[in-house]
Amino acid sequence: MSTTLPDPERYRAQVVALHGAMESGNALAFRHAFDELCAEMDSGLLPELKRITAKAQSALARFSAEARLDALAGLEVPDARKRLTHVVKLTDEAAHRTLDLVELCGPLVDEAARGAAQLLESRDLPQWPSRAEAFLDRTRTDADALRAHLSELLMAQGYQDITGQIIRSVIALVDELERVLGKLVQIAEGIEVTSLVRSLPTPLNWEQGLGPQVAGIANGDAVAGQDDIDALLSQMAAGK
Amino acid sequence: MSSSLKFLVVDDFSTMRRIVKNLLQELGYSDITEADDGNTALPLLKGGAFDILITDWNMPGMPGLELLKAVRADERLAKLPVLMLTAEAKREQIIEAAQAGVSGYVIKPFTAITLKEKLDKILASRAAA
Repeated sequence: MSTTLPDPERYRAQVVALHGAMESGNALAFRHAFDELCAEMDSGLLPELKRITAKAQSALARFSAEARLDALAGLEVPDARKRLTHVVKLTDEAAHRTLDLVELCGPLVDEAARGAAQLLESRDLPQWPSRAEAFLDRTRTDADALRAHLSELLMAQGYQDITGQIIRSVIALVDELERVLGKLVQIAEGIEVTSLVRSLPTPLNWEQGLGPQVAGIANGDAVAGQDDIDALLSQMAAGK
Repeated sequence: MSSSLKFLVVDDFSTMRRIVKNLLQELGYSDITEADDGNTALPLLKGGAFDILITDWNMPGMPGLELLKAVRADERLAKLPVLMLTAEAKREQIIEAAQAGVSGYVIKPFTAITLKEKLDKILASRAAA
């Protein structure tokens, strides 16, 4: 197996003793010299064995690192790109929705302020009671609209939970990428790497949770929305 | 509508907890406690007389499914209505949650109307039980 040839000089003492014992027919001395030779050979073998083992481990580590890198580069990095693109889309939508609602609320508040100011100025006019009634009527309607807009503003902030979950999964991927690349650099630099590259507990465990669905990423058997869930649950309830 | 009901809202994102809390307040409920995962929620549930649990699924620490199972396994909590409010959308997950005894399942992103509908449904069956 080994490509290095043995150094004959190393075994000179044992071979001379062995030869002498054989020539003189001394079985005990022969046995002794023979054991010494074997021991010397073993001691030479051990470092060689260690070297081969380390080489094999390093090759295995390299192989597992490269296989993991392949998977990361081939599927998970493109998926991460889709995830982040989805995050950009969600944050863009949420920001626009928020701004739209603010723009809807502004005129309602302005109108209330303007109407109140007018009313205060026309306190002495005979038509004040009817104007006041019209103002109150309108303000009540506008306040309802404002409340509805505020509720929508509230809901629009839900994007932070969804995008937060998606970004966390991408951070986990970047962490893993860093570790795998670090291992490969170590191997390339000849640093002995013995531990295999294990994949992170990437969110593949559906009991722990997989995170939000992202368009364009294989999602297996996912429901289309709330209606789908309601149908599935009532189907299950009926089947009981 | 009984507004004295005691809610526990469990989600690791504080923004989502605030959203749910605000929605519940709009619906007239004011007794709302928050927790950020199953590990913090379970002692609260065991210690206080909560009327309904609203929980996320994907949380570091104890996920929502495990919390649901722990609730159903606890003699005193077993009948507590549990509404899952989550982005988890796999069919097998919803089936698992249903088999574990979830009372309602709302997918994120959700609307205020959906949340109200599911809550009303849960509370109606709770009243009937």
